[in-house]
Amino acid sequence: MLRLPRCLRAFAPSLLLVLLSFSGADAHCFVGPRFFPATLVIDDPCVADEMSLPTVAWSRTGDIPPVSELDISAEFDKRITEDLGFGISDVWTQLRSPGGTMQQGLGNLETTLQYQLLKTPSSETAMLLGLIVDWGGTGNSSVGIATPYSTLTPTYYFGQGLGRLPDELGFARPLAITGQVGYQIPTTSYIVSQNTFVPQVLVYGASVQYSMPYLKSEVKDLQLPDFFNHLIPLVEAQLFTPIANNVGNPSTTTGTINPGVIYVGSVYQVGLEAIIPVNGASGSGVGVLGQLHLYLDDMFPTTLGQPLIGGSFSPSTKPTS
Amino acid sequence: MRMFFIVAMFLLGALTAGPARAHAFLDHATPLVGSTVRTAPPEVSLTFTQNLEPAFSSVQVTDASGARVDQGKAQISGNTMRVGIKSLSPGTYRVRWHALSVDTHSTEGSFSFTVGGS
Repeated sequence: MLRLPRCLRAFAPSLLLVLLSFSGADAHCFVGPRFFPATLVIDDPCVADEMSLPTVAWSRTGDIPPVSELDISAEFDKRITEDLGFGISDVWTQLRSPGGTMQQGLGNLETTLQYQLLKTPSSETAMLLGLIVDWGGTGNSSVGIATPYSTLTPTYYFGQGLGRLPDELGFARPLAITGQVGYQIPTTSYIVSQNTFVPQVLVYGASVQYSMPYLKSEVKDLQLPDFFNHLIPLVEAQLFTPIANNVGNPSTTTGTINPGVIYVGSVYQVGLEAIIPVNGASGSGVGVLGQLHLYLDDMFPTTLGQPLIGGSFSPSTKPTS
Repeated sequence: MRMFFIVAMFLLGALTAGPARAHAFLDHATPLVGSTVRTAPPEVSLTFTQNLEPAFSSVQVTDASGARVDQGKAQISGNTMRVGIKSLSPGTYRVRWHALSVDTHSTEGSFSFTVGGS
């Protein structure tokens, strides 16, 4: 008789409930026929009503010896208008060293204001501008989990589907690329108590996605089992490069490459990725990242899923995307 | 940590076990998306994942030159949209659809199918 590993027995019944509850359909950041899912590391290129609850990541840091890091975060995003959105998030971090010492606590509260520059259905193109603010002192800075200073990161996001490729390249049409580039500016340039300069950092990343739902509905229905028609395999990358005010600090670019897959349901999506550090300074070994993401506009179409200003729920009015 | 995962998985299960209200996506079509059929079909039928608002949902079928080959207004019932097709010659045709789900979410898409050939 097969016995589940102990770590799985605790949530086996709820896992069974999930497996029996698979349903169809996709939702959310749509540009014409293209759906850009909420990716786990970088952001998707749309304002939306959505929630990530939770995102769980485990990895080992680039310290010598490496420290085990567990991050559990939550994020809530809400449209103010059709084109303006606001987000708030925070992360709880636990650092466990090989010697057994442990530090844990909340990171700084992070807010994001985003404006949808454009969404062009015919070319499957989306662009977004945002300002990410990490509010210094709102987290546990006493043990180094959070910083006492704030950072402001103006960011540009984009998404481009490849649906316009010629028919000869039909099987490449489900591909899409998303990305973001931001410049992180700390509110302080020098920490006196630590005798440390605080650099300005270029924060950038991208994803390459292959949409099985797009393949089925736009290119060719291969009549695969329905489970596969909900999958979006992808590779994400996020990198950080110190640009200025980096005296006395390493100038190494750090970051991770995250191959994984997203399953898209009717009102939610589930993502799972590996965390692969790009170099020794970025981490040690392969970590893992998982996320449950909720589409609030599909769960609550008449209330929480409507913009705060200008939203309406009536088939006779302008449809929402 | 174990309790965290239990709660998270039950949340996911509860979300998926209830009635789905979401965007209407193309679940399947006849002719199949990207398929080649030996004989011209009498109609194009689209089945979606959600029920549709008939007044705001539509479908058009065009030939390679962009001329419409459908017979006009689609018949929409529940989550299915059908449109009659004129007699088609061998060739490739494109179906363009726009759907509004009953909870006012809008989706659109297009695909091609081929009549005749191998």
